[in-house]
Amino acid sequence: MCRRFTTVSRLLLLTAGLAGFQSTQAEYGINFPPPAADVAQEIYDIHMLTMRIATFLLLVVFSFIIYSLYFHRKSRGYQADQNFHNTWFGNWSWVIVPALVLGVDLTIASNADTVLKKVWDVPKDEKLMDVKVTGHQWWWEFDYLDHGIKVESRYIPEEKAGDLYLREVDNRLVLPTDTKIRFLHTSADVLHAFWVPELAFKKDAIPGYVTETWSEINREGVFRGQCAELCGTWHSRMPLVVESVSPEKFQEWVNEQQAIKVATAAEAASTKTWSKNELMTKGKALYETKCAACHQVTGLGLPPAFPPLNGSPIVNGPVEGHLNMVINGKPGTAMQAWGSLNDLEIAAIVTYERNTWDNKAGDTVQPTDVALAR
Amino acid sequence: MNPRNDQLRHKNRRLAWILGGFALLVLITSFPFWQNIFKVLGEAVR
Amino acid sequence: MSYTNALHDEAHHHDNPTGWRRWLFSTNHKDIGTLYLLFALTMLFMGGASAMLIRAELFQPGIQLLDPDLYNNLVTNHALLMIFGAVMPAAAGLANWMIPLMIGAPDMALPRMNNLSFWILPAAGTMLILSFVVPFFPGGGSQINTGWTLYPPLSVQVGMSMDFLIFAIHLLGISSVLASINIIVTLLNMRAPGMTLMQMPIFCWTWLVTAFLLILVVPVLAGGVTMLLFDRHFGTSFFDAAGGGDPVLFQHLFWFFGHPEVYVLLLPSIGVLSHIIPTFARKPLFGYKSMVGAMIAVGTIGMVVWAHHQYTIGMSLGAVSYFMIGTIIISIPVGLMIFNFIATMWRGAMTFETPMLFAVAIILMFTFGGLSGVMLAVVPADMQYHDSMFVVAHFHYVLMPGAVFGLFAGVFYWLPKWTGHMYDERLGKIFFWINVTGFNLTFFPQHFLGLAGMPRRIIDYNVMFTEFNAISSVGAMIFGFSHLLLLYIIIKTIRGGEPATNRVWEGAKGLEWEVASPPPFHTWETPPLIRQEQTS
Repeated sequence: MCRRFTTVSRLLLLTAGLAGFQSTQAEYGINFPPPAADVAQEIYDIHMLTMRIATFLLLVVFSFIIYSLYFHRKSRGYQADQNFHNTWFGNWSWVIVPALVLGVDLTIASNADTVLKKVWDVPKDEKLMDVKVTGHQWWWEFDYLDHGIKVESRYIPEEKAGDLYLREVDNRLVLPTDTKIRFLHTSADVLHAFWVPELAFKKDAIPGYVTETWSEINREGVFRGQCAELCGTWHSRMPLVVESVSPEKFQEWVNEQQAIKVATAAEAASTKTWSKNELMTKGKALYETKCAACHQVTGLGLPPAFPPLNGSPIVNGPVEGHLNMVINGKPGTAMQAWGSLNDLEIAAIVTYERNTWDNKAGDTVQPTDVALAR
Repeated sequence: MNPRNDQLRHKNRRLAWILGGFALLVLITSFPFWQNIFKVLGEAVR
Repeated sequence: MSYTNALHDEAHHHDNPTGWRRWLFSTNHKDIGTLYLLFALTMLFMGGASAMLIRAELFQPGIQLLDPDLYNNLVTNHALLMIFGAVMPAAAGLANWMIPLMIGAPDMALPRMNNLSFWILPAAGTMLILSFVVPFFPGGGSQINTGWTLYPPLSVQVGMSMDFLIFAIHLLGISSVLASINIIVTLLNMRAPGMTLMQMPIFCWTWLVTAFLLILVVPVLAGGVTMLLFDRHFGTSFFDAAGGGDPVLFQHLFWFFGHPEVYVLLLPSIGVLSHIIPTFARKPLFGYKSMVGAMIAVGTIGMVVWAHHQYTIGMSLGAVSYFMIGTIIISIPVGLMIFNFIATMWRGAMTFETPMLFAVAIILMFTFGGLSGVMLAVVPADMQYHDSMFVVAHFHYVLMPGAVFGLFAGVFYWLPKWTGHMYDERLGKIFFWINVTGFNLTFFPQHFLGLAGMPRRIIDYNVMFTEFNAISSVGAMIFGFSHLLLLYIIIKTIRGGEPATNRVWEGAKGLEWEVASPPPFHTWETPPLIRQEQTS
């Protein structure tokens, strides 16, 4: 009788606990954010299932321990049962307990396996929209392989981002809803990991590897995540922001981006000779987005990993050496090759670096010089 | 402080060397030279 | 025993060296055990200080105290100091002190090697600290910002401090492999006549399994970091994709070591618990045989599930399913261990001295950590948890109760035996409550941070994570400073106190309680007679 009573009260306690947990989780942000894809919903459900099973087991174990702590103590005059381990229970518990645990394990594993099969492999025999996600120290590059667009996404400094600091970027990853998207993850330098909780998957970006994930976003919204694999100094400054829009709006965005791309290419290809002022203005903007993460806005760098450019022998030396460093990088160090930038961009950055802070090289570098140096 | 007799001491040292040799074997096999052996074997089978 | 041999033994046995020679040239298992424990205590405070700096930085959003590289350096050093400096040497110290006493052996099987395996440690510890310090000297290169996992290619970018770290790991590895060999040989060859393997005290069993695990996995880590060293300096490309290597290979090698390593940390403490709970429940351990079986099963399965630390590297469906199911299966032997502990308490006559308080807290919190481990094992859900603060909360919930608190419990349990004085019970209990409260305050909120989307190992975070981080940091300060009380209790007990009896605890059973407290310099020179009731 007493025994049944404890069982019932335990169940009551359990339901009360779970109900309490569920009603509070939405308000305080102590659980996953609401999923934005069907697959993410399944992942959310398996998370809740395992958490409920775990909570239940925890309560069972806790109630046995608390019961024992209260009743089986010497101060209550309880006599130790010296033969408890020799009863039938003692002799067979090594079979009973693993069998019970195995039952729980199989429940979890079978449910997990069902979800895993849906989540893991990219759907075959279907046309998916491909987005290549490349991790860099410390920014993300998104290549829309089907649309020929490239987006560079960097964190926004605290002064501008305010409360969204470390959760907001300059260029978001814009994606259409109701479209199956394949993400191809890779890295240009060290390990990174793509993680946007609403899409509910995480994948490492490994140099030399291309890993795949997929998603089909089912609602419009802005979903924020961060790089999840330690990638060096500014690991904390690699936010990921996905903006999901309707397919129509996405097409508009794509057209807009393609127009910008054409305009930039035309500008870079023109044979015009750029004035020093033009190059300096362009160079400052480009330097501060692309180079300042390591070499700092002040040009002082973060030695020893990131050497200062202010007063650097390379920056103040011959133009050829400087261009070579920017275009080809320095193997074995954090300095990557920036050859993917166009001639005008490199010319602007190099001109800026040579003529700002205490650097007084005085020369300007034209896009044609860059083309020669390549 | 000392093992109880020479025989035991000998037994201890022998077991220690065996275990040490085993650790060394694990160390050596952790270098991935066997990856190529697998590759060669795989090609031979094919 | 021949006459000359007897003379030889005689000469050694009555040689009680004093001063620094006693410690530097020591071949006595009790002295070496003490050295191990003191070394571990020192490292515990250094690792703890780095953890408190980390938490102080994370108290508020923004970068206040540290710079990002120093933060990452501290994260790396905290892990390495705690795992290789504090927990493993402390467990080895307990093994050195207790195993010969428990099995009725006069000393460890290879006393001079025992001396070597301890004295490598201070050198390795110095090297480890140097790896933290060199970047602050001119020409010292950049700081280690890779975390203890040392994943390339990031670890190839780091300056010379990484080389110090690699050699520190080599030394630590040599030390623990030598200690493991010694322990295995002692357990297999030196048991008192008549004591079968299945009559060994369970602490000895846990160490037998642990030592085998160490011999199997530590050389793999040594191999891994050696290849890293080659990649860094000798132009090889084991882990460099551009040169035909494979960066993921290092992760496999690391976790092939890293996962069994958590059982290396856990098992000795499980062994300590298996002595404490029967003592204070005043009844024999429930299920000795199933305990041994569970331990061997944990060790065996633990060797083949390493890749659950790398679910996100893009393995095939078959591979992740295997690693998921294997990992979930580990809950069976671990569950059996926890069940056996509860069944030992069940219908006992319990009293709650400090070691028992820790033991009960360990069972409660370790169960919690184990269950969040099952959640992490589920691949689809781990896509979310992976590398978030949830993981940090999980592994601290298993490693603190599972390893560190077990060692604390063991220290309180055996301190009267080692020193001959009872520790201050009231202070012990105060320490317990502050310590456990601080611990839960620190790590419980981190589960929520992880679920809400905070990655681990970041120095700066968005304002949405402020509240729980602040709570966690306050908890960490309470938790960290509480260890000064532990230090005070230990010093006070060494200096004096109520004399301890041989048996110390009313319900204590086993050979170690039949020698005096403190034990004489040499014990069990004549092997004890094994009676059945001593071992069951």
